[in-house]
Amino acid sequence: MKYAIYLGCAIPIKYPGFEAATRNVCERLGIDLVDLPFACCPPPTSLKMVHYDSWLALAALNLCMAEEAGLNLMTLCSGCVNTLKEANQTLKKSDSKRRKVNRILEEQNHHFKGTIEVTHILDVLYQDSVIEKLIKEKVREIPLKVGCHYGCHYFRPPKIMYPEELSEAESYVPVKMDHLLSIIGMEPTEYSRKFLCCGSPLGANSDQDAGYAIVKEKLRHIRERNIEALSVICPSCFEQFDMGQIALSRKFKDLVKVPTFYLTQLIGLSLGMSTKEVGLDVHRVKSKKLLEGIGIS
Amino acid sequence: MTVKIWNFFPREALYECYQCARCTGSCPALEVASALGPRETILKCLNLGHDEIVEDEKLWVCCTCNVCEDRCPQKIPISDLLVALRNSAARRGNIPDKLEIAIELLAKTGRSMIVHQLDEMRAHHGLAPLLPVPVDEVREILKKTRLDEVVEF
Ligand code: SF4
Ligand code: SF4
Repeated sequence: MKYAIYLGCAIPIKYPGFEAATRNVCERLGIDLVDLPFACCPPPTSLKMVHYDSWLALAALNLCMAEEAGLNLMTLCSGCVNTLKEANQTLKKSDSKRRKVNRILEEQNHHFKGTIEVTHILDVLYQDSVIEKLIKEKVREIPLKVGCHYGCHYFRPPKIMYPEELSEAESYVPVKMDHLLSIIGMEPTEYSRKFLCCGSPLGANSDQDAGYAIVKEKLRHIRERNIEALSVICPSCFEQFDMGQIALSRKFKDLVKVPTFYLTQLIGLSLGMSTKEVGLDVHRVKSKKLLEGIGIS
Repeated sequence: MTVKIWNFFPREALYECYQCARCTGSCPALEVASALGPRETILKCLNLGHDEIVEDEKLWVCCTCNVCEDRCPQKIPISDLLVALRNSAARRGNIPDKLEIAIELLAKTGRSMIVHQLDEMRAHHGLAPLLPVPVDEVREILKKTRLDEVVEF
């Protein structure tokens, strides 16, 4: 099993711990990763909103790099997977858009052919063979009540992100992270408004406080279910919960904070990696006490 | 030059909207900020036309979460409409400052994030330096798609 690893911008630059955990987890679970000199995805929340043609062409450049290496592309972020999956699908389907983009790319010696698939680390880990390996390789359980947050762009719009797995209402309700975490002994716990946005794009493009107000609303429901930890699969969602809780706790003194983890950090811990190895030291909402309580340091 | 948004979005789809507000009822942006919300956006498109709505700064108050489209019983491609309207707004200079700065950084460096003392930080996590982005290629591509007509870089 081999993929071109698409790191995106936020993970390798802001949260290299997530990258370290991911590389380590993949190695242990038999997933080979190849690095390529990718550019920014670019985000569905920024460039796409401002200039669609530029967004599509730059995404095509990244897709071409993976095509040229003959590898499917694995992303680590809900935003990256949204852009690259949609662009890949659009360019495969639309002859006119593909021609237009190729006219531009050909000057840089690239040509979009439509030969690869785009996926997300969560979907990669969720394959039977990987899960079997995880069950064999895990050295400890992580008995905590966990709340999953998937990130809107990971699964919406469903007809683009999961066209093969649509419900009768032509929607898609993600479950893979919950299932995966139960395998490492966590207790995935449902909470109200689980699929509400984290608010990150609102903060990035217009109003930080409004974005954090959404975090506060989510947190209320999360605390209601006595959830002890949050798990995410996107660096923007992560930052929104991690920084957001710090910002909120300055304003609301009695706010009870819930530590947030990136999925592969939790899997890494269950495979025996140390908290430092998975990069927990840079999190703003600390998880030290919580983890010590279950014998992980 | 403005983007002819009806090239990006099937205008007839606007008439499929029966103003039920199911989209707006699930809109997180509208819940916490003074956003337009999708129902009103569509109504304004119909009543006032494209030219007026793209002047409105509130057009940008959105999470791009796509819940509206997911909930719409009429299956109106709302996300396409929102992309088209904002592309058009940006061309007329209606673009949030923060977003403009972010796009300029992206066009200049090929990344959405400022790189500062990165190698040391990555080494701390046992990671090799990041492969360099082919910046010249990125800039050429973005020049060819005429991004600089909207955001200078
Ligand atoms: S949910 Fe669809 S039909 Fe109802 S108001 Fe929104 S766009 Fe119109
Ligand atoms: S995409 Fe924007 S308009 Fe639609 S529900 Fe989300 S925040 Fe509201």
